Amino acid sequence: MDTKVGQTIIEKPKLSVRNLNFYYGSFHALKNINLDIPENKVTAFIGPSGCGKSTLLRTFNRMFELYPEQRAEGEIMLDGENILTSKEDVSLIRAKVGMVFQKPTPFPMSIYENIAFGVKLFETLPRIEMDERVEWALKKAALWNEVKDKLNQSGSGLSGGQQQRLCIARGVAIKPEVLLLDEPCSALDPISTGKIEELIHELKTDYTVVIVTHNMQQAARSSDYTAYMYLGDLIEFGPTNDVFMKPKKKDTEDYITGRFG
Amino acid sequence: MSSTAMTTAAASLQASRVSKYARRKRVNALALTLSLGAMAFGLVWLVWILIETVHLGFAGLTLSLFTEMTPPPQAETGGLANAIFGSVTMVTFATLLGTPIGILAGIYLAEYGQKTWLGSITRFINDILLAAPSIVIGLFIYSIVVARMKSYSGWAGVLALALIVIPVVIRTTENMLSLIPNALREAAYALGTPKWKVIMTVTLKSARAGVLTGILLALARIAGETAPLLFTALSNQFWTSDLSSPMASLPVTIFKFAMSPYENWQKLAWAGVFLITLGVLVLNILARTFLRNKH
Amino acid sequence: MTDKHLSTQFDAELSGISTRVLEMGGMVESQVARSVYALTNFSAEIASDVLATEERVNQTEIEIDRDLSTIIARRQPTARDLRLLIAISKTIANLERVGDEAARIARTVQRLLSSGVSSRLRLPVKDLAYESELAVAQLRKALDAFARLDVEKAVEVLKADDLIDQEFEGLMRKLITFMMEDPRTISSSIDLVFVAKAIERVGDHAKNLAEQIIYIVKGTDVRHNSVGDVESLVR
Repeated sequence: MDTKVGQTIIEKPKLSVRNLNFYYGSFHALKNINLDIPENKVTAFIGPSGCGKSTLLRTFNRMFELYPEQRAEGEIMLDGENILTSKEDVSLIRAKVGMVFQKPTPFPMSIYENIAFGVKLFETLPRIEMDERVEWALKKAALWNEVKDKLNQSGSGLSGGQQQRLCIARGVAIKPEVLLLDEPCSALDPISTGKIEELIHELKTDYTVVIVTHNMQQAARSSDYTAYMYLGDLIEFGPTNDVFMKPKKKDTEDYITGRFG
Repeated sequence: MSSTAMTTAAASLQASRVSKYARRKRVNALALTLSLGAMAFGLVWLVWILIETVHLGFAGLTLSLFTEMTPPPQAETGGLANAIFGSVTMVTFATLLGTPIGILAGIYLAEYGQKTWLGSITRFINDILLAAPSIVIGLFIYSIVVARMKSYSGWAGVLALALIVIPVVIRTTENMLSLIPNALREAAYALGTPKWKVIMTVTLKSARAGVLTGILLALARIAGETAPLLFTALSNQFWTSDLSSPMASLPVTIFKFAMSPYENWQKLAWAGVFLITLGVLVLNILARTFLRNKH
Repeated sequence: MTDKHLSTQFDAELSGISTRVLEMGGMVESQVARSVYALTNFSAEIASDVLATEERVNQTEIEIDRDLSTIIARRQPTARDLRLLIAISKTIANLERVGDEAARIARTVQRLLSSGVSSRLRLPVKDLAYESELAVAQLRKALDAFARLDVEKAVEVLKADDLIDQEFEGLMRKLITFMMEDPRTISSSIDLVFVAKAIERVGDHAKNLAEQIIYIVKGTDVRHNSVGDVESLVR
């Protein structure tokens, strides 16, 4: 499917996807995806279940490599290098492209240790600087005030919304360049969701954010660019304002207005 | 539908509900009675064993039990010191030997070998070993160690017990690790963590309560095993701390003394039974409280 | 609105509100026609009838606006649905003003009659009737185009507005001539000027409706553009 016709031009893309095909065994899950992710903006992937939006997100940090029957072909350019064929250790790629998942997953250690975990992998910081980094990350995640007095307590003692913000702080602490969020709010109540959406808005000043969501209103509220996918194809990609007011493709309009013909 | 038609329809529905419910209640009462009865039956025997053990063994609990060696028949004094020491030593060494092997193999099976041929074979052999009669294990060690070295020894006993510990620890470690959700591993990978570190600091740590329980249960099991020790460590009337010589152990000593016609030996045997039962009970309770606290 | 929503409730609400808009359109269309008829036939009865109906027109605008707000609040509409609802909001404002113009015409009729004007003065009311037919026809066409979301018809309405403007200018010249010839008719002629202006504004409102229709279908806001520009925007 030719997705370049009438496509939005992104001046300085952070990630460039070219001719990406993805397979679960013999199942062709992503079909010839061509997409540019703009830098320091929030891009949302929307589409019905099974359309491939999470699959696409997980190619950006090569998470699919954990599962032998999954494979990707094509190019994903990050800073001029194809991360799919890069000789670099995948851990170094994941240090640049971080991910937060749907289910909050605090590690079995204290809150402090949770944040410091990722940092320790790549940096050797003296205690004072580590303390500062932990505080900075927790402040970025809007969690500092709630946990500053109990940094030594286990991460699992927090509420769902707090745990998810902990995971976001953990991801932010290693200072990646791109932050991937896979349905970060689907397990949370509306107030926690609101806090995290505020957070996403702030994060984009320093990071390129890509968010997968099945909640269209969330995509409409939080993102600058929206990509609509269906059955492994990229149907439309453009500024969120356009996609939600005047989409170019009828399929897109049908999906976002809730019509399935 | 007129209102009267609706009320009669609703009434007949209600009537059928009530009659079906009454029948379910009767079946429920019957099933409950039967299962309570079965439980009571099982409990009766357990309680009886415990009572007999306490009744017959408690009397023999004196300080000399722990300080004096196994006596000759019909002697006035005597204790189980050498047997207790032997048991504790061999069980400890067996656990120390078997646990690391078991945990590492369990990690391989859960984290690396879920679908490999090596993993499948390992799992299969482990299941067989788990179900193997302990006497077979004892005879095996006899043939390769004792017969070759031409002597019974504490080390042979340790080896035999370790061979019982290993499959238990492998099984529980693999099971506990498999219970950890993949989401947790993915979160660690997403930060750029290398595989071994994910396993050690995240997965294993999350499963540690379960793994520890498995070790404790293995320990409790080998504490009471007699057959493997019969052909390996044999027994020793005297005190020895040299593991290359035959060593006394509680289960073997109990075996010897309980079947004898001598009264002093029988008393000591019961005291030994009491000690083992108490030890296994304590270990089981420890294992369970550990597991409950961490979750 | 070809495919159906997952929520048939939403579909029902959208078609319901569109129907009410068309009803309101029909109402004000007949208001204009009747008020001009009252003028050409010097009927005080029809004029007061029109004024009595005016209240209902205003009420309808308020009701539709309220339903509109409810739908937007509850359904979070996007794209085409949102454009439809926004366009409806502007459309009923335009229709309400058409109703106002009709009421203005009716009041003028009453004033003329009470000041003793009669057919003897040979006022050029027939030309007014012609201008009004043009305007009402455009209004009807615009409402049709709304019902069918027909962009081509909407563009035709936009083009036809020039005709109405020309007709109005012709009328002005005629009335001025009339006033110059017979100064006794000045006061009534000025009233007729206001009527002509009111009818011309009805034509403008029809044009506004057409612009909204183009917005709904194409998503392009063509207001304040010349007709030539609109045609290229729409293509």
